[in-house]
Amino acid sequence: MRQRLETLFDALLPVIATLAALAVGAVMLLFLKVNPLEAYAALLKGAFGSFNSFAETLVKATPLLLVALGICISFRGDVINIGGEGQMIVGAILATWIGLTFTDAPGWLIITLALLAGFLGGAVWGGIPGALKAYFNVNEILSTVMMNAIAVQLMNFLLRGPMIDPSQAEVASKIPQTARLLDAFQLERLAPTRLHMGALIAVVLAVLVYILLWRTTLGYRIRAVGQNPHASRYAGIKVPRYVVTALLLSGAFAGLAGAIQVYGVNYRMITDGSASGFTGSAGFNGIVAALFGQLHPLWSIPASVLFGALLVGANSMQRMVQVPSALITVLNGLVVIFVVSSEIWRRRRQRRRLVVGEEEAPPKPDKSQVQTGEAQK
Amino acid sequence: MSQETILIGLAGVLASASPLIFAVIGETLSERAGVINLSMNGTILLAAMGGFAVAYTTDNIVLGFLGGMLIGALVALVVAFASITLQQSQVAVGFVLALTCRDLSYFLGNPYMGLPGPRLQALPIPVLSDIPVIGQLFFRHDVITYISFIAIFLAWLWIFRTRPGLMLQGIGEKPAAAYIRGANVNVMRYVYTIIGGALIGLAGPAFSLATRAGWMGTISGLDGFGWIALSITIFGGWNPVRGALGAYLFAFLQWLGLVLQPVLTQVPSQVLQVAPFPLMILTLLLVNIGNAEWVERTLAAMPESARKIFSKILRAMRTSPPAALGVPFERD
Repeated sequence: MRQRLETLFDALLPVIATLAALAVGAVMLLFLKVNPLEAYAALLKGAFGSFNSFAETLVKATPLLLVALGICISFRGDVINIGGEGQMIVGAILATWIGLTFTDAPGWLIITLALLAGFLGGAVWGGIPGALKAYFNVNEILSTVMMNAIAVQLMNFLLRGPMIDPSQAEVASKIPQTARLLDAFQLERLAPTRLHMGALIAVVLAVLVYILLWRTTLGYRIRAVGQNPHASRYAGIKVPRYVVTALLLSGAFAGLAGAIQVYGVNYRMITDGSASGFTGSAGFNGIVAALFGQLHPLWSIPASVLFGALLVGANSMQRMVQVPSALITVLNGLVVIFVVSSEIWRRRRQRRRLVVGEEEAPPKPDKSQVQTGEAQK
Repeated sequence: MSQETILIGLAGVLASASPLIFAVIGETLSERAGVINLSMNGTILLAAMGGFAVAYTTDNIVLGFLGGMLIGALVALVVAFASITLQQSQVAVGFVLALTCRDLSYFLGNPYMGLPGPRLQALPIPVLSDIPVIGQLFFRHDVITYISFIAIFLAWLWIFRTRPGLMLQGIGEKPAAAYIRGANVNVMRYVYTIIGGALIGLAGPAFSLATRAGWMGTISGLDGFGWIALSITIFGGWNPVRGALGAYLFAFLQWLGLVLQPVLTQVPSQVLQVAPFPLMILTLLLVNIGNAEWVERTLAAMPESARKIFSKILRAMRTSPPAALGVPFERD
């Protein structure tokens, strides 16, 4: 009985952690002299209040899920990909270029090609840091961050120069954006809302990534390399090859997210000069969603919906109770910190259970465990 | 360009590198002890905003700098608690903090956007500043730049020439051995992470109260410096002197980009803005290439004389991280 209760508790940990983060957020709201209940009600209403707002939540969740899928692959391979933003941008650039260049082709062909181009563009942008890590030992955290910066400037250059919307090139304001895609090239809408095919594609891919990671040799090897590169090498796995593959795939999914953002939501590429101007920070928030989903592709689906809801709800919270939406990004971070730190608690208890089970001896008193327990309260 | 402008430009390079130097030294201390403080990018922004806010409201610039250091130390405390006590993935916690602190700085800093705040004034050192060339380069800065010069030297002295510094190297390289030698590994890790965090925090006001005075929110242009400081730390091989050289090199390249912009008009401005990043990747590649297996194999296949020269070059460039970096320490 007790064991079952504990299992239930473990499963609920992310929820509890989310509530704890919301509680901290409530304190911050009180400091801003805003009624937290009112603010959270506005948030919920904005995210789930109507069919339309729920669709909007799913629209926001789509790029998060796609990036998160890539993150599941790379983090499982112990490769830290922080370059989602840049990979999204490069994927979107290539996809947009296809749509704006081949205007005579049929719609289905262009969409397929464009999504493939996005996939490839992201793969290249992720593969470069992957190769640098695998063959030159360059730290991938740093190289992916730098690749982000390069991608942003590439986008700024292209959207202000060669790829600028011809109508913007003539006027003085010169908003950095490309021309609009033809109607035939836009991803189909699923309902009379902004929800588009991309959401469906992302969910299908989540299942495929699950199969890839747990039902194929490639996935098995990526995970083996992630857990113990030395043992993997002795087992005959070519470690560098799987490091590159992990980052390449991770980048590819982010690139696809960028392409789908263009073909499903904006129908053009537009920026304000920073990375988030195009991506809406999905490249970063996708990491957060993946961590929240415990690096599992299927769990990443609800996690992405949650963070999508937070993003959409934040906007309505800003409108209705005048709370800066930046508070939500802070809240995002808090949620992950709480989830990540609750994880250790579970692992420790698991270990204790093992010790008790095997040796029939009481576990050693562990100082840090007491501290962990206190931290939870 | 006259000699005068070049000298002023180079002196500016030394000054503008000072925030990076504090951040690099802070990160070096933290990582030498075995803890990666990946939150640096957010910490610097939050400390820049906080330091400016404190200095603006109290009208006391010293309090502003102390406020920035306090913010850095507090963020580092979270990193330390999560990674040492909770034994969490340092990368996950640090990265989330980097994002959270960045957004927090934009969110909390809103009321201070674009306000005319206090700024550290230059303080030429009498006599020394009159020396031609050298005086112009080194002795006409503000206090924080002088402190950055001294900090490089002190940090190097502490790590490589003192007994506690030796212990610091020990807890980052082989914590079990350091433990046997009587070091309380986890307490020391806390101490160094927090001190390192305070130094990283100092980089914030060094921007917002000195080199790039004021707080401009998202257009402050400070976003990204933390990541650069992180790669400079690696480039510097966890050595403050080499790290400082990296910071100066980066500041020099940025200055060069500005100077060259009017000359190379056909080159799009984005190319010069972005140039430091591929260059940093290239330097990371050069310092790491000596560790790669296939390079060793290639070297072994070379004729004797060529091998000697190449391996010497590679060894001079190579750096490798503290062995226990990012690995939690448990007594048993």
